[in-house]
Amino acid sequence: MTLRGRQNQTHTLLETSSFLVVRLGDSYVALPADGVHGVFTQEEAGKEQAVTTAGITYQPVDLAQRLSVVADLSGLESRTVLYSNGRSHGAIGVSQVVGLTDVERKDCLPLPAQFQREERNWIDGIMLYQDQLVLILNPSWAVGELADIVPVAVGQVGQITAATPAAVDGSC
Amino acid sequence: MLRASREKQQAQVAKQSWPVMVFSVGGMKLAARTEDVEGVSSWTESIPVPSRTPFVQAILKRDNHVMPVYDLASRLKCKLQGDPLLCLIARHLDGPMAICIDADMPSLETVDTMAIRPTGGGDIETLGSVMIADSEVAIVALQRLGRSRLDVATS
Repeated sequence: MTLRGRQNQTHTLLETSSFLVVRLGDSYVALPADGVHGVFTQEEAGKEQAVTTAGITYQPVDLAQRLSVVADLSGLESRTVLYSNGRSHGAIGVSQVVGLTDVERKDCLPLPAQFQREERNWIDGIMLYQDQLVLILNPSWAVGELADIVPVAVGQVGQITAATPAAVDGSC
Repeated sequence: MLRASREKQQAQVAKQSWPVMVFSVGGMKLAARTEDVEGVSSWTESIPVPSRTPFVQAILKRDNHVMPVYDLASRLKCKLQGDPLLCLIARHLDGPMAICIDADMPSLETVDTMAIRPTGGGDIETLGSVMIADSEVAIVALQRLGRSRLDVATS
């Protein structure tokens, strides 16, 4: 193997993705960091539901409700994350912003194959952060898109599983 | 000759009996082939996953493995009993899958395959049912648990 070949291999192995890890109640979720436009305290976000800053209006997103978790969003550590996937802009209330982290592609686990329906489009994978299981959310779902996907037919399950990034090597 | 005959006899006996693990969910006795069970340990907290797959709505971490949780108690419309609850790891066709079961320690039994009868009208994937200690016990098909449910729900 050439030196050039070795360098390429090293580059591939170290391929990473950056995530913002947040907590909602007892659940930890991660969002790709490149969509984070800001993190506001409750005071900064104000009492209005939507947040407008730098000419962009971020519509409120009840991510806790979408995740079916109970979360206190009024604690001292609670924050509003301004998030955009380029098309939609959401103001996501969270119990705590845990931190930013870089994750190697190999450390992103796919959603287990037993999950066979729309959730495969909602969740890009799973990772471990500070010994916690963290769901890596699809940004489009997190900001309120992909809410009404037609249920998957039996024959399509395998195709979708195969096509979902979570089923491929690495899920980030 | 004698040895070959004895081996043949032993093979026949092996074919005619199944080692099963008997466990309970909400007080209901169930069984599973031991070859379909990866292990039993104490239950650990799971984390919810937004999901529309029936009864698959959480994951848990065991050692360094992440696995889905199958909510068998909800499917059987019963409430788990005892404390601490136990975790049965099933060898599902799609990969290891955790099932929360009652605190009662599972036991091992051997059942005669000839005594296994088809389960009628059940709402769960089984390999049939068998009499164990004067009770009819369904043998849960752990390998394909949830699969027919998914088929029914989407057809």
